[in-house]
Amino acid sequence: MLATQLGIHPRSQEAFMWRKPTEVQPSSQPYASPNPSPSRSEEVPKSSSFQPQGQQTPSASSLSASPSSAPVSSNVSKISSGLKIQGDVSGSADLYIDGDVTGKIRLSNARVTIGPNGHVQAEIEARDIVVDGSVQGNLKAGESARFGSSSRVVGSVVSPRIGIDDGARLRGKIETVRAPQPSKSSPVEASSESDDLSPVASGVKSE
Amino acid sequence: MSWTAKPRVGSAAGAATAPSKPGPAPAAPPAANHRVSNGLKEFLWLIGDIPKGRVLDLGPVWQSTVSFFVDKGFRLSSEDILRAWKDFLTSEEEKLRTAAVGEGNGRLSPSALADKFLQNALDYPEKSFHGVLAWDLFDYFDAEAAPRLVDRLTSLVHPGGAVLALFHSRPAERFHRYRIVDAQTVELLPASTIAVHSRVFQNREILDLFEKFRSSKSFVGRDQVREALFVK
Repeated sequence: MLATQLGIHPRSQEAFMWRKPTEVQPSSQPYASPNPSPSRSEEVPKSSSFQPQGQQTPSASSLSASPSSAPVSSNVSKISSGLKIQGDVSGSADLYIDGDVTGKIRLSNARVTIGPNGHVQAEIEARDIVVDGSVQGNLKAGESARFGSSSRVVGSVVSPRIGIDDGARLRGKIETVRAPQPSKSSPVEASSESDDLSPVASGVKSE
Repeated sequence: MSWTAKPRVGSAAGAATAPSKPGPAPAAPPAANHRVSNGLKEFLWLIGDIPKGRVLDLGPVWQSTVSFFVDKGFRLSSEDILRAWKDFLTSEEEKLRTAAVGEGNGRLSPSALADKFLQNALDYPEKSFHGVLAWDLFDYFDAEAAPRLVDRLTSLVHPGGAVLALFHSRPAERFHRYRIVDAQTVELLPASTIAVHSRVFQNREILDLFEKFRSSKSFVGRDQVREALFVK
């Protein structure tokens, strides 16, 4: 059989690779990460669904992850990949972290998003917390905490609503607390109890 | 060991939401990857009326499992111990490979490896949990690590608390992960193998492994997987 019939160039003896028609990717991927991390070796069914941000589910304890963790508002501060910050972060603007942060993050009325490249070693306290990267530290969300499939978290999670994608890795305590009612005068949360079972507390020094 | 009556820990505040008394599961046909679990049903019956009960899931974290326990008022801790074990072994191999000759970093014995692993794994206060879901992880730990793991779990479980473990009667054909669908159904999720099936435990070996627990009960499914429940 001739080399050309085999798709081999007679001189270079290299095999031509016929480009296959572009395959249409299934659109059933529930999570469209802006910069997806390398795929996990573990096969996990993609069964989670997502709901528009802010939509309350009847069962307040669980929550679907957001369609995208990328900053969507113009009022978002961004710590880009390659930046390293050490210290405390506080304020009222939303924060997107794709770099490295060590310290303490306290944005009680804002949203903190850890992007796929983000590495955070800090306690985080925010209204909403979205994790697609890695976090080592305790998380306390006033409204919701969401963990994407590429998230790696070591620490306790306290939030009224928690959403976990298949593939997320979380080591620590998960606890839901009642969302603070604005009209109530006692915003005491169950997390104030002293029985923190997080295995990470000793590994994070925020001060 | 013998199976004893259910230990009553705490008040009956959660009795209304506790699962019904265990018994033969209804004969509803489960989905292909669903497994009716009498062990889980009994496990929930044992811990169901503990107010603010604490459960440790030693598998990967799943939304359905989290929601299941959280909706029932439990606090759930999650630690994928098998993946942590694999990552630990990989790390140790890497250290060994990169260590210069003569540095003295010799290969650790299996028992030393297990001890070193447990220095950072399952690092919780004693008597932290009322229930532990161990799934089938003991099938994947070697003969040195498995007893040490059980010892650690023994210290973590509250008196009267329970451990649910699965044991394959023959080497598993596929590596599975488990997540809770409902109070008596577990979903088996095929996963790429992160650990090789290490051994098949005989009944006596299982009882010896959990000899520090005061009672045990087991169920054998049609798939020849033994669900064992141990009460401290």
